[in-house]
Amino acid sequence: MDGAAGEEGVVNPCTVTTGFFLLRGCGRPAVAGCARCGRGLCQGHAAQNGGICPECSAPATEDFYHPYWTDGYRRRYYTESASAYNDPYWYSTFDTYDRGAFDQGGDWASGGGDFDGDFDGSDFVDS
Amino acid sequence: MFYRKQKAALARFHPLHQALVHEHRLSVTLPRDAWEPLIQSCAQHRAHIRRRKWALPDEVPLVLVPLVRVLSRDLRRTGTIGVTADLTGPEAAGKAGPQQSLQVRRPIRRVLQWYAFDPWLAVRAELRDGSTLDIAVVDRVRFRKITKTNPRGKIKTKTKSKTLRVITVTRRLPKGAVLTRPASPPPPWIRVRIKDGPRPVIRLRARIPNAPRSSGLPNHILHLSAEAFRWTAPQARRAS
Ligand SMILES: [Zn+2]
Ligand SMILES: [Zn+2]
Repeated sequence: MDGAAGEEGVVNPCTVTTGFFLLRGCGRPAVAGCARCGRGLCQGHAAQNGGICPECSAPATEDFYHPYWTDGYRRRYYTESASAYNDPYWYSTFDTYDRGAFDQGGDWASGGGDFDGDFDGSDFVDS
Repeated sequence: MFYRKQKAALARFHPLHQALVHEHRLSVTLPRDAWEPLIQSCAQHRAHIRRRKWALPDEVPLVLVPLVRVLSRDLRRTGTIGVTADLTGPEAAGKAGPQQSLQVRRPIRRVLQWYAFDPWLAVRAELRDGSTLDIAVVDRVRFRKITKTNPRGKIKTKTKSKTLRVITVTRRLPKGAVLTRPASPPPPWIRVRIKDGPRPVIRLRARIPNAPRSSGLPNHILHLSAEAFRWTAPQARRAS
């Protein structure tokens, strides 16, 4: 269960945060609440871990083969990288998403894979 | 017949898993959900294979699996991840440059030095916002073969190596994407280059001296990648 397209206009949407760098609310209609934190869960996210949301059931494992390793790693990653970048806002993007406070579906709806050749040219500027 | 059971187990693995075992190479582009069967196959490796000749290169569980796992979270179902990995190591044939003799003093008799160029990982992911993310890892390894006379007059030879790793992350954004400079600069080990315009590109580079072969690498790559996404971080909803 991941990478779901956010649906506009769902009255009671699933608030599970999908994605890793590109965070987005799941947005499918919620059918239940997480047994721990109470957030709304769609059918798929409710079934994933016996009624507990991915955030509450995230395994604290270093085993990359664990199918839900990413769920536990993501919060650690945002905490660590926000501190490496001295950028609390970076962490808050994750935390705020997790509390459902961002507008959903702010993507550029492009087909993707549309890239030109080489960018080593002089039009690059050092940041 | 030796290794009969292990050989049978190996034959049941995912074909790309088998290629990684036999050739230490992988070059494939797969849609998001086609990666999981390969990962699950690799997860079974240790339980069935003990023969060293058929070992799975460490970079598979330590680098490829976590990277693919993380990137697939940002893909549409139809989005693809391409991986080109050459895990044969910097000592493999064809990677070494010319040898050069260095000046030495006793008790050292001879030092031969050469560099190997090992571009061992390239990953491309088509993300769900229409951007693409390219990750490349290149190791430049300095080898020194040192011959010296020990105190008892015996001649000993050993080879030392030192790795400089260069990680590049490039995010190419779709038409119309807008970049916003992050509030804080990245840490000093990260170099950022920006191409602004209708299709912006963010290119990041990190040089890591004395790099260990694989452990901690995904963390490094993903921390570097954060910069490519800070430039497009969502702006908080404003009360209106
Ligand atoms: Zn929960
Ligand atoms: Zn959901």
